[in-house]
Amino acid sequence: MSDTPLDLLKLNLDERVYVKLRDARELVGTLQAFDSHCNIVLSDSKETIYELVEGDLKTTERFSEMIFVRGGLVALVTTPEDE
Amino acid sequence: MESKATASGSFLENIIGKPVYVKLFSGILYQGKLESIDGFMNVTMSQVSEHYEAEENGTLHKYPSEVFLRGSQVLYISEK
Repeated sequence: MSDTPLDLLKLNLDERVYVKLRDARELVGTLQAFDSHCNIVLSDSKETIYELVEGDLKTTERFSEMIFVRGGLVALVTTPEDE
Repeated sequence: MESKATASGSFLENIIGKPVYVKLFSGILYQGKLESIDGFMNVTMSQVSEHYEAEENGTLHKYPSEVFLRGSQVLYISEK
């Protein structure tokens, strides 16, 4: 439960979060910081990159110790189901 | 009669706790219970299912925990 939407992000500080960005981009990481623009800092993050290679969906994973995500591109934030 | 100028404000306050559809510009439709909303149209929802354009097109995903959607990506919020 949360009073305002950004309170939900506050509740998730120091927890693992799943962030969906524009253009079907996805990140999972530990939420270190955020602001009202939804600029987000994640640690131990995993970026999942989807691409079509000759009609087949190919996924690549990129890992990063610390990553700053520009708020404007954020679409959805929630708790990841599994890793 | 209620002033039209505050129509959007009172609509958004009155649908808290109700089942809603939220569509993003990407065409992804989220269906769930509206937990909170702010002036930027940031929303949080619970018991969320994800669909492409319409619920009839099948469920892409179900989110077991509360979901935050950023207001700038929101196309509309409608009562279910």
